[in-house]
Amino acid sequence: MKTRFKKYTVEIPEEMAIPFAGIVESPKPNGEQPMMLTGGWRIYRPVIDSEKCVMCKSCVLACPDATVLLVDGGNKIGFNLDYCKGCGLCTWVCPVNAIDRVPELDFEDGVPFQDALFLLPHVEALYAD
Amino acid sequence: MANEDVKVGRQAEEDKGALGDSRPGTIKFLTGLGAAAHALRMADIDVASSYPIRPYTGVMMMLSMMAARGELDLEFVHGEGEHGQLGIAHGASSAGARAMTGSSGVGVVYAMEVYSPISGGRCPVQMVIADRTLDPPGDFGSEHTDALSTRDQGWMLGWAHTPQEVFDNTLMYYRIGEDPRVYLPQMNCQDGYFISHIPQRVVVPTQEEVNSFLPPLEFPDALDPLNPLGHGPQIFPGQGHVLEATRVNAMMGTFPVIDEVVNDFNKRFGTSYDPFVEQYKCSDAEYVIFISGGHAFTGKFAVDHMREKGMKIGLVRTRWVRPWPTDYLADILSKFKAIGVVETNNSFGAARQCGILTLEVATTLYQCDNKPVLTAFMAGLGGEVIRLDEFYYMGDVLKDAAAKGSTERTAYWIGFHNV
Ligand code: SF4
Ligand code: SF4
Repeated sequence: MKTRFKKYTVEIPEEMAIPFAGIVESPKPNGEQPMMLTGGWRIYRPVIDSEKCVMCKSCVLACPDATVLLVDGGNKIGFNLDYCKGCGLCTWVCPVNAIDRVPELDFEDGVPFQDALFLLPHVEALYAD
Repeated sequence: MANEDVKVGRQAEEDKGALGDSRPGTIKFLTGLGAAAHALRMADIDVASSYPIRPYTGVMMMLSMMAARGELDLEFVHGEGEHGQLGIAHGASSAGARAMTGSSGVGVVYAMEVYSPISGGRCPVQMVIADRTLDPPGDFGSEHTDALSTRDQGWMLGWAHTPQEVFDNTLMYYRIGEDPRVYLPQMNCQDGYFISHIPQRVVVPTQEEVNSFLPPLEFPDALDPLNPLGHGPQIFPGQGHVLEATRVNAMMGTFPVIDEVVNDFNKRFGTSYDPFVEQYKCSDAEYVIFISGGHAFTGKFAVDHMREKGMKIGLVRTRWVRPWPTDYLADILSKFKAIGVVETNNSFGAARQCGILTLEVATTLYQCDNKPVLTAFMAGLGGEVIRLDEFYYMGDVLKDAAAKGSTERTAYWIGFHNV
């Protein structure tokens, strides 16, 4: 039998190449993606009690969107609320129950009270005209 | 090969103190799952992630036994369900471990979300599948719809038809999937019960032979706390199709690797596998049964019997469904007058209400100058046995089709149209 390996592959021009499996160094060089804000999905907002927090950083690892931040020179936990979608995983993994889930309705700037679709001035600016 | 300890099934296992025996070239009587467990032990897997569902779960029972007895240095993790189970395998593989997992039936599809991230992360996990009919009706028999449902998720996918082939495929799949030209996960499938639970003779090579065939996994950019990396691509706009294309290239680039690895396996272990497609009594055949998986075993007996009666029938068994060996099959199949695809799967509402394999075969033949008559045999559904007399019926249909150049039906339902 004639054996042949027909070419079914796609040629990817060098300038379009991406790293193996899309793996990139951390923190991601892409940074934030202001066209893909997920903060508006949030129903519960994570709120940290820094007194209780023992800085084990489990929440940093658990967050699916890399929105748990090290703030205050790396000494405290904070959240990037433009992207935190309120999934609650950080609360779930915290060994000392330092992260509360507070309904967005309880905040004056809660998601349902935002009058703009986008939360950030720099994002709104993208759509200014 | 030493042949001093031929015993049957459970007795052999009990007598030898379970499953740890690795004397050179031992012959064992093993079920498909026993064969998989032994091959995984010899592949020195690092992580197994389990969740119980029959019939596949036997492989986990054996692996946990091997780990408990110290025959295998294994991290054995139990998921909270199949979705979590596949997630564990994903994480383990991302960290550079040789990881395995497995499932059956509804368990396979419960994990559906996780397949694409694993293949997209290019993690060479191996999954042992012992096929089981999907619910309803909570049947335990083999039907390939479970694993075939994952065929669009970027995993390599192939069926063995004997416990020996399960053993051999386990080693070959790891070597193919872990090849730096590939890095893809593999589904190592066997029919539930027919293969997974019926012991047959299996030659088990020495550990040294296995070691020289299967080098340790070297996964690029494995997770490492000292060198943090972002796994799970977060891409820029305009990179989505590039990411897809790289995975297509990995899959379609497997053909030369499969060819190389299977031939190397044959050379080292004295086997005679065709890398892609087994042809049984096909050289002068006019019409053939096309099949994947364990029922090929019965099918070959049926072909022998039909040949004795002077019928020009053969059997073509594909060893792969993903990647689909298009060119090989086009060469092989286009020379026949009639082809009957045995579908041990179902695709409700598919073109011509045939199964999944007929769609692939039809696409394969569409480009060929000679287009054989093509029909499907819906058989073994719900885990039913395909009996010899049912294969004879298929033979008669095909003989007729070859003579007339057409068939009455696009799909024959075995158990209905043959009675
Ligand atoms: S709630 Fe979810 S998205 Fe928000 S910081 Fe916690 S883990 Fe991240
Ligand atoms: S998991 Fe809890 S204790 Fe650990 S760093 Fe996060 S908030 Fe602090």
